[in-house]
Amino acid sequence: MNEQTAPYDALTLRSTGRGLLVQLHVIHALILRETRTRFGESHLGYLWALIEPLLWIATVAATYVLTGSTGKPGMTMVGFVGTGIITYELFRNCQSRVMVAVSSNMPLLFYPQVQPLDMMISRVLLEYATWFSVFVIILGGDALVRGELRVDDPLLVILGLLLAGALGGSFGAALCSLTVYSNSVDKVANALLRPMMFMSGTFFALEDMPPQLADYLVFNPMLHVVELVRDGWFPTYTSTRVNAWYPSIWIGGFTILALTLERVVRPKLQVT
Amino acid sequence: MIDVDEVTKVYATNKGPHVVLDHVNLRIPAGTSMGILGVNGAGKSTLLRIMSGVEMPDAGQVRRQGRISWPIGFSGGFNGSLSGEENCRFVARIYDEDVDRVVGFTHEFSELGDYFYMPIKTYSSGMKGRLAFGLSMAVDFDAYLVDEVTAVGDASFQKKCREAFAERRGRSSVIMVSHQPSTIRSYCDRAAVLKQGRLTVYDSVADAEKAYHA
Repeated sequence: MNEQTAPYDALTLRSTGRGLLVQLHVIHALILRETRTRFGESHLGYLWALIEPLLWIATVAATYVLTGSTGKPGMTMVGFVGTGIITYELFRNCQSRVMVAVSSNMPLLFYPQVQPLDMMISRVLLEYATWFSVFVIILGGDALVRGELRVDDPLLVILGLLLAGALGGSFGAALCSLTVYSNSVDKVANALLRPMMFMSGTFFALEDMPPQLADYLVFNPMLHVVELVRDGWFPTYTSTRVNAWYPSIWIGGFTILALTLERVVRPKLQVT
Repeated sequence: MIDVDEVTKVYATNKGPHVVLDHVNLRIPAGTSMGILGVNGAGKSTLLRIMSGVEMPDAGQVRRQGRISWPIGFSGGFNGSLSGEENCRFVARIYDEDVDRVVGFTHEFSELGDYFYMPIKTYSSGMKGRLAFGLSMAVDFDAYLVDEVTAVGDASFQKKCREAFAERRGRSSVIMVSHQPSTIRSYCDRAAVLKQGRLTVYDSVADAEKAYHA
């Protein structure tokens, strides 16, 4: 008996290390593949990632002009809407892309080392890369035009963006397993999440909301995330009612749920 | 080495559970080849998928040593909107192989010509099979799990497939499932028969053939 235990332990340790290496190869290959298919169908390709937030910024700019509003002191309109929209888009795209990560990559389950979790992780990583770049281009461009750039707390901005992707990714991962049971999950999720954009502080600052309304709005973890990014970006803006713990707890909950569901659903996935 | 130990798989059907594999045992030492005969729907492909690790058994376990291929067949494994070349790149990366070598080898072996650079969805099933087979030959596996795919292509392509395996004989195992004894005969020196969920291993292909037709 003893003879067998020792080599077995050595084997599991070594195979854990090798397993990690295999997973890195898989995630790397998946990311490269996803970059080809993410915007692959369209001629403008990755420009779409820039166009969408720019359109929102233009729309809000138009309303500002029409209503004669000057925006919030110390914040440019591009900065205010940009920090909101890009952070939200990161959340939303992680959620929607991860939700269909398995169903749109089904043939790849034919390779034993490719697991559903790898598909989800690689999609989140690609969204991070995409929206971090968009953030730098649009808000950096805004600073360049104004001729000044003073970021209040860069680490807080990065923390906020990381939370946005993690919240979307973990929520999407939980939904991803549910889509195996019913293919209307994604339609329902998309319909329910549509109003989220307007409740997450993308177009308003929490401090401008009436207190009674704000009491309800703070239940939304994405509002915390957007406010954190703005707090970190603008020297003149400090958000008092939000923190990083609240969205983190949601992320933890979604992650536990998603990993549990993945275990349940994995044997049900059929590759043919 | 692949060791299939008491593997059972049950699929839910409209008429209740259907036992596809019933306590199947099979041991394939490194470097040996094995054919598995069974009629359509006998569970051959299921067994192959479980051996590869793509599907999990409901009971029992599979122990593997060395690099085992994915179940090589006509379908699956390819993204239709990407070209043959791009799919090869992906597979080379997940097996940590030299991407250019794998792409070059597969292009030549599959004889797809310019279609190699076209989306897979424009391929016929024969072309897909040729791509899948060429790609699997480009990666150095210790065991190849082959699902009927060698029946693909014309006589000269089939000859090429046999030669590719002959070259690897002794170094790699071939586990091949088919409903045609003639296919098994030209690749394997031993065979098993899968009937009603039970697997019986025979010492020669001829014995297996007799039991298969019985």
